[in-house]
Amino acid sequence: MVIYLKAGSELRHRLKPDIDYYTRRIKTDAGKTIKEVLIDLGINPALVAFVYTEGKVKSLDFIPSSGQSITLQPPVSGG
Amino acid sequence: MTLSDLEKKRYLRQFTVRGWDQEKLKSAKVLIMGLGGLGSASAFYLTAAGVGKLRLCDGDRVERSDLNRQILYFEESVGKFKVEEAKKRLTSLNPHVEIETVKEFIDSQNADELTGGCDLIVDGLDNIESRFMLNKQSVKMQIPYVYGAVQGWEGIVGLFHPPRTACLACILRQDVQGADIISIPGVLPGTIGILQATEVIKFIMGVEQNLVNRLLIYDSRNLTFDIVETEKNPNCPYCGV
Repeated sequence: MVIYLKAGSELRHRLKPDIDYYTRRIKTDAGKTIKEVLIDLGINPALVAFVYTEGKVKSLDFIPSSGQSITLQPPVSGG
Repeated sequence: MTLSDLEKKRYLRQFTVRGWDQEKLKSAKVLIMGLGGLGSASAFYLTAAGVGKLRLCDGDRVERSDLNRQILYFEESVGKFKVEEAKKRLTSLNPHVEIETVKEFIDSQNADELTGGCDLIVDGLDNIESRFMLNKQSVKMQIPYVYGAVQGWEGIVGLFHPPRTACLACILRQDVQGADIISIPGVLPGTIGILQATEVIKFIMGVEQNLVNRLLIYDSRNLTFDIVETEKNPNCPYCGV
């Protein structure tokens, strides 16, 4: 199945977007968690604070469905 | 709590805002933990708005590299304690606000003392570890916590009021790896700090449309504001049952 991952800030460079500035189209197996998808992509899950999709925050154990768009939120820690 | 004639004149433009309650603001005590870019902006606007009492906590001195974003400090502030410089500027801005200063960083020893007696906590910190400590205090003392953070072109604001709502640890994993050096365009903490101050004012006055159970994620590069819903995590190590 295909999902769409988005990332800004530091994570964008690791995600390597190919659709627009923020978004990458990913082919993955149904049933995989976001954490597993990230590992497959070579992105350390510890670099992702949380993800959100359809207006709701989700953990990295979230299992996306086909066609879903998920935003990866990096740690934002400055002040 | 009554307002003097001088205060009534000062806050005249606010009184006409529907639902505004200046006396509630005056009777509130707000802790601002950290007086960097976020804390400078929120302290400035909370003082201007007439919050009755502010407790400012920060053990740092002003560095020259702070001056691109920490609006309470000027060239002559470099080398001086932030809380002292902040108090000087804020008192000059609004002498009706009572300002208490503490030259300390939050730790497990002083957390109860720093947060005790405050109605709200504003996050002006610059690292994840201290934020989790502040969150722990918010959970323990059941004090609403107005979270804010910035990095790169992005900023986040949230309002946590455990046990009624999620806490910071319900959402952020504790094992995340933050950047060693945090890049911040000077204007960004201003935007986020003012949004935090707005949430404080709304919460004190009982405005229901606030960021409880939601996070506002601002991408200043792409000019987007996303609002995402948060949920309590029943397995949260801080507020879970």
